[in-house]
Amino acid sequence: MFFNSIEYFLFLPAIYLIFYFTPDRFRWIVLLSGSIFFYASLMQPYLLLVLFGVMLATYVFGKLIAARSEEKEKKRLFWIGAGINLAILVGMKYLPFITENLDLLLKAIFGKSIIPISPVIVSIGVSFYVFQAISYLSDVYLEIQESESHFGYFALYISFFPKILQGPIERANSLLPQLKKPYEFNYDNMRSGLLLFTWGLFKKVVIADRLAELVNRVYGNANAYTGLPLIVATYAYAIQIYMDFSGYTDMALGTARLFNINLTDNFNRPYLATSVAEFWRRWHISFSSWLQDYLFKPLQMRMRNWKSWGSVIALLITFFISGLWHGAAWTFVIWGFLHGLYMAVAVLYKPLQKKLYKKLKLNGTKILKLWKIFMTFNLVSFAWIFFRAESLRDASRVITNLFTGLGTQLGSLSVLKQSLSLGLGKFDLAVAAFSLAFMIVLEFTNRENNEHLLRLQKKPIYIRWVVYYFLVMWIALFSATGSQEFVYFRF
Amino acid sequence: MTTFERLNEIFCEVFDDDTIELKPEMTANDVDGWDSLSYVNLILAIETKFAITFSQKELLTFRNVGDLHKSIEKKLESRK
Repeated sequence: MFFNSIEYFLFLPAIYLIFYFTPDRFRWIVLLSGSIFFYASLMQPYLLLVLFGVMLATYVFGKLIAARSEEKEKKRLFWIGAGINLAILVGMKYLPFITENLDLLLKAIFGKSIIPISPVIVSIGVSFYVFQAISYLSDVYLEIQESESHFGYFALYISFFPKILQGPIERANSLLPQLKKPYEFNYDNMRSGLLLFTWGLFKKVVIADRLAELVNRVYGNANAYTGLPLIVATYAYAIQIYMDFSGYTDMALGTARLFNINLTDNFNRPYLATSVAEFWRRWHISFSSWLQDYLFKPLQMRMRNWKSWGSVIALLITFFISGLWHGAAWTFVIWGFLHGLYMAVAVLYKPLQKKLYKKLKLNGTKILKLWKIFMTFNLVSFAWIFFRAESLRDASRVITNLFTGLGTQLGSLSVLKQSLSLGLGKFDLAVAAFSLAFMIVLEFTNRENNEHLLRLQKKPIYIRWVVYYFLVMWIALFSATGSQEFVYFRF
Repeated sequence: MTTFERLNEIFCEVFDDDTIELKPEMTANDVDGWDSLSYVNLILAIETKFAITFSQKELLTFRNVGDLHKSIEKKLESRK
């Protein structure tokens, strides 16, 4: 059951009504059983076992860590608890990758297959809630979070259905207290929650799914294209994945808001970032702040005596892990490493850059800012090639052919037209362009994320309802045929 | 000079800005240029100037200037 499915449109009102008519002290039971039902609807029984294992181990070790006063003991228990979580994640997600590569290596050495290759299993949600569990154990160990003694609330913190499949990765100090607050019907939350949900649905089914058709056509057969189609598909993918993932997040946040719960916003107009480092403060924020707090900072602090080089190594390791987290494949590893490399180079280049800008008197100018946004967007889009490509071979093929034949393509109007539309009909192109323009005007002209929705709510009723109707009709009429699953479900 | 004043001096030096006036409740958001990279330089400068060493756990739990200051005081105190 996914957010864009008919089942979910039945499930959500049903669980809300049960929740509404249940007294406060039992409400956690409604949300917890609803969350487990939601996760069980994936029809993978072992996933429930994994979820329960993570809940139980993290709950127990959280209590154990908090109960000890000796620093050494606390640390040991933290590592055991985090180790169990990591072992679960590796077992679920990385065994096929590890055994496959080990097999290749052993074959090269001994000339024959020695170890069996593990089959790929569905692990939807595991990377998200395992990371959340590790953040909880870290916070308890660092004594910035008390351990939770109520197993029910703790289990709900791990499994709350709006965020179980694809995040946001919530910190305990932000989500746990909200789950315990008595519920009171709040008209504003209800309205803005439903609106945010609809907005996310629009981004997903009208824009992302439509662009996906174009992107899939090219990347599904990367051999057949050179030049402009590859460039168009790569930029289209940059927009597709943003619409897909931020659309999902809007739907998660919108759902949670119906229950008066505010989840962390994952996006803040990332493609307006002026550096790759800033991009990561605006893209998948709950994940990048996890990396920052629990991986980058500890590594960087440990290597602080190496000054800039310490930060460089910490960056490379962090983004290598980030790549691996997204998927057990070399394409993701390279994608992550590329981001690490971008930032590492930026760290080393910074002193020179400062001087250069001063000399050229560029500091604080609009031109410089636009140039930086343009460069950042292109660096990020280039890295997406690895993220999207089906294999390393495909990725390198795309990159080497990116500009092949571009001159002739740009020279001939009919070829130009053909490569820009990539088989997408005039109608689909118009819908995509119009929806995208609508989205950009609304989202990117605001200072705060999702401010456009707040502003809309202050408008007079005839404007509000026209927009509501428009949005719903637009979704109903122009959803891309062939609904796609969310990109980030795979991670 | 008090520890807090010395700390203020180190901040001015590391962030290359003489106008910084520290307050205990200040965080990275209140000081221009205070990001994760300059934070390392700041910590290194503090450790050298005061001849102290922070533990990994301490470095990961400072929430603001006040926390940092308290920890420095405590370390200087225990050395006496």
